[in-house]
Amino acid sequence: MTAAPQTKTVRGVTLRGDPAREACFTVVQTDAEMAEWPDMSDASRRERLHRHMNNETGAMEIAAQCLVDFPDTPWELRMQIARQVADEARHAMVLLRRLLELGGHKGEFPVANYEWGVTLMLDNLPGRLAVENRTFEAGLIDILGSMRRTWREAGDADTADMLDGILADEITHVRFANRWIKRLTEEDPRVLLKVALAIRYLARVNRALLPRSGEANAVGVALGARQAPAVNVEDRLEAEFTQDEVLEVLRQAGFRSILPDEVK
Amino acid sequence: MSLTIRERADTIGTFRSVSVRLMETLARWIPTTPELDVKVLFGRHVWEMAQHADWLGRRTAELRAPLHFDRAPADAYGQVLERLAEAADTAARVAGFYDAVLPDVEARYRRYRHETDLLLDEPSVRVIDRILSDLERLRREREALRALEPQFALGDPEWPHRLAVAAANGDFVAYRPAQPASQPT
Repeated sequence: MTAAPQTKTVRGVTLRGDPAREACFTVVQTDAEMAEWPDMSDASRRERLHRHMNNETGAMEIAAQCLVDFPDTPWELRMQIARQVADEARHAMVLLRRLLELGGHKGEFPVANYEWGVTLMLDNLPGRLAVENRTFEAGLIDILGSMRRTWREAGDADTADMLDGILADEITHVRFANRWIKRLTEEDPRVLLKVALAIRYLARVNRALLPRSGEANAVGVALGARQAPAVNVEDRLEAEFTQDEVLEVLRQAGFRSILPDEVK
Repeated sequence: MSLTIRERADTIGTFRSVSVRLMETLARWIPTTPELDVKVLFGRHVWEMAQHADWLGRRTAELRAPLHFDRAPADAYGQVLERLAEAADTAARVAGFYDAVLPDVEARYRRYRHETDLLLDEPSVRVIDRILSDLERLRREREALRALEPQFALGDPEWPHRLAVAAANGDFVAYRPAQPASQPT
């Protein structure tokens, strides 16, 4: 008999227990325990790479667990997921390499496994693809689109180019999830309900984990409302989001006023 | 005498099945292995095993078997794969996978290559040659881990050897019963 997966409770919501990390890492649960800076100081640059490295590691772990948990998935989709596992592993390695080049090291900053904690609570593959690939990784498309420019403006073209390479891979991960969710939904419309329930669960977790009023992180940076990264329209379309879906993201990001009237 | 087409399909289907099992084993270990260097090595090799399974599965369709024909290995070999999958710590996982089972699989690919008709079965041989080339690279990448191994020493140094012996001594392919010869009408 397989043991039930371990869970943890964070601010009243149940999440999957953390994946294994080396002893050098300090694993935390909330943004308040993280050490993020808004600027591009040397420490902030290392922390950004360190955090991204752990997030890529988490994405690899999520995809790997999908191969284990859903062995009856169509082989073509398993192949895509296996490729994603390898891509995320490669991303973690290049981020570690860059971190070391900038004088950092594994375990230098706290890490959190939020995406793993949320996604692994879902017991079906369409739900996991909707949350991990179509939401978190699509969000990463926006973040990387902005971060390329931020690093370049800070004089670090090498890191900017590295992020551009990662972005190209992430587009493929979002694209295959978009294709497969569509295909699985066409084959069985009930899949749409699973996707909707997964997104509703994600929204509930996000509400519970929102920073509390006046809360600051571990290095004293206030955790107010964060400015969302600019929507990376071109790459979202490349990842086969429809134009309507991209417009919806733009609306939610507060760009309603500049959208053409016919799509507001 | 060379292998029959049915034996070839069964063997290629078994190699495919084993590749899928190894892919799943690596995937299962990724979240529960703490060491980042090992975790990412497993992650990169998940894709290698998936590609091998894919190439082999496409070949089975050319050998009068279904596309992605999956033939579970003989029971004894299946038990070896189960013992491998149950390895609980990093050292046992690395040694069991790279030093015990993978060399055995590699030896079996070479044996198949020796036993089949290299011309008649050339498409299978091409697939196997690509896989053998990959396995050589996997071995080199595993060697790069040795510098880290003081961090995760084997609790039972004999375990990989016992696993390798069990793999080598067991049957590999569980052949389907021969079909009765078709009757002329």
